[in-house]
Amino acid sequence: MTATTSPRLKTATYGGWRTRLGRAVLPYFLIFPTFALILTFTLWPTVSAAMQSTIRTPSSARMAPRFVGLQNYIDLFTPTTEVGQTFPRVFVGTLVFAGVTVPISMGLSFLLAVMLNRKIRGLGFFRFAFFYPVVIPLIGAGSIFSFIFADNIGLLNTVLRSFGVQTHPWLGDATWAPIAVMMVAIWKQTGFYMILYLAGLQSLPTDVYEAADLDGANSWVKTTRITLPLLSGTTLFVLTTAAANAFQMVDQLYALGEGAPADRSNLMLYFIFQRYNERANTGYVNAITVILLVILLAFTLFNFIVIERKVYYEN
Amino acid sequence: MKTSRIGRVTVWDRLGTLVLFLGAILWLIPLVWTVLISVRPPGETIVTGNIFFGSRITLENFEETFRIVDWRVGYGATLIFVFGVLAAQLVTITLAGFAFARLKFFGKRVLFTLILVQIMIPSAVLLVPNFSTIRALGLYDNRLGLMLPYFGSAFGTFLMRQAFRQVPLDLEDAARLDGCSWIGLLRHVYLPASIPTLVAFGLISITARWNEFLWPLMVTRSDENRPLAVLLAQVQRTNEVGALYGQTMAGVLIVIATLLILFIFFQRQFINSFVRSGLR
Repeated sequence: MTATTSPRLKTATYGGWRTRLGRAVLPYFLIFPTFALILTFTLWPTVSAAMQSTIRTPSSARMAPRFVGLQNYIDLFTPTTEVGQTFPRVFVGTLVFAGVTVPISMGLSFLLAVMLNRKIRGLGFFRFAFFYPVVIPLIGAGSIFSFIFADNIGLLNTVLRSFGVQTHPWLGDATWAPIAVMMVAIWKQTGFYMILYLAGLQSLPTDVYEAADLDGANSWVKTTRITLPLLSGTTLFVLTTAAANAFQMVDQLYALGEGAPADRSNLMLYFIFQRYNERANTGYVNAITVILLVILLAFTLFNFIVIERKVYYEN
Repeated sequence: MKTSRIGRVTVWDRLGTLVLFLGAILWLIPLVWTVLISVRPPGETIVTGNIFFGSRITLENFEETFRIVDWRVGYGATLIFVFGVLAAQLVTITLAGFAFARLKFFGKRVLFTLILVQIMIPSAVLLVPNFSTIRALGLYDNRLGLMLPYFGSAFGTFLMRQAFRQVPLDLEDAARLDGCSWIGLLRHVYLPASIPTLVAFGLISITARWNEFLWPLMVTRSDENRPLAVLLAQVQRTNEVGALYGQTMAGVLIVIATLLILFIFFQRQFINSFVRSGLR
């Protein structure tokens, strides 16, 4: 069919764009809205943040902003500057937040997916129970957990008191406040990674498991020796998604003490938001933005390199 | 994997189900307590009276929150925000997706790569420079300014490109012979074939916008432009001092109810959408 119609198709045109010029312009016309928007709100701001991060905003309005090179970045990590007293703590806190929430939510989500991927009653109930936090706002999750961890009338302290255990001011505690912030993230994200793993599990071949059954392998052996290696593609994908998400999940801080006590539970993106509202040196917030961007791009690059090498990439 | 015929495996299966059940209860506790606290009489903390329901069930907490914020206005602002963004996105991603799927032109690869940068750099991180842009455009505290950064979507463009590429070329040839213009082609051939993709993208977009917080908090100031999530933050702040968690939890329920109910009824569609968004 194509052979006979193709000569006629050469003369066929997209109506309204009959001229040669029209045909040449059409693709650019179609792409223009998307490209212009992404240029304005993604590409340009990235460049602009990098440029602004080398500039010092003057303390008085009469002075002009001046170029300071990498001084803003140096200040961020110098204990003698005002910002340098808090930022390193927030920087490390953010890395710890990612380093703790990503493995825990991934591990949990994998286990849940394996346990759900059987003939099981109440699948809909389980899916709802673990996935519903994904569709509620992070600020709402923060509000709920602020009640759970509240001092006197919080759920956790009420339960502890009823068992005669000493209560604790969780959100005022330098150790527990960051843990509370992490728990919100784990609670919210695990269901999302769980369904990604479930999708991966459902695409696995069944014959391998039948062979393992014949050899008398138990669930543990099957899960660790067959499922886990076969899902390494999914795992890699979930890892990069989870890592990227971990640097953006900060809304809950608004309800959980805004980084209290003394920025122990603060995270970089929220710190940017706070500092910008305080109208501090915008060079600092832009420098922190660039640091975040570099971290995110590093994960993408890592993902790209690993996939390029095709390390056990099944899916 | 599959429930095996071997006896000792079933023990593990039972244990798995038990763990699953306990985990599900743990995951549901925040939601259950949100509901319970919101319908308790104000001023009755969970320490006093019946630990679950208090002395009676009441909607007073919900009524009290209306003194702080007007949810009806917020609901309207949220609907405008969510569907304004979605409508614009559907147009931009369809057009760009079509061009990248089916047209040949100079610079296609470079342009596509530049657009995909948006998947790697989420707009949430570009809070500060985007705020400057919106202010420079004179769109601070303006509904359009709130929506504008979301109008272009690399993820959506990518999804539509994939969907359009699945459409058999024969179908397009036939339509073109009937004298279809490119708009006609999109309307009668490409879009009908891509409805599952459009639904998947739509659900993801709606969920994301409905739950957006820091950006709306930053670019809006007047109450009538603020979506529900920002109003919830106001309720949270107001009640923090008096520890009036009943009102805050009532606010949480008001904000999450719509998506939660939609999720209950369209569980499968939601989960499929999120899987697709994952496997981009």
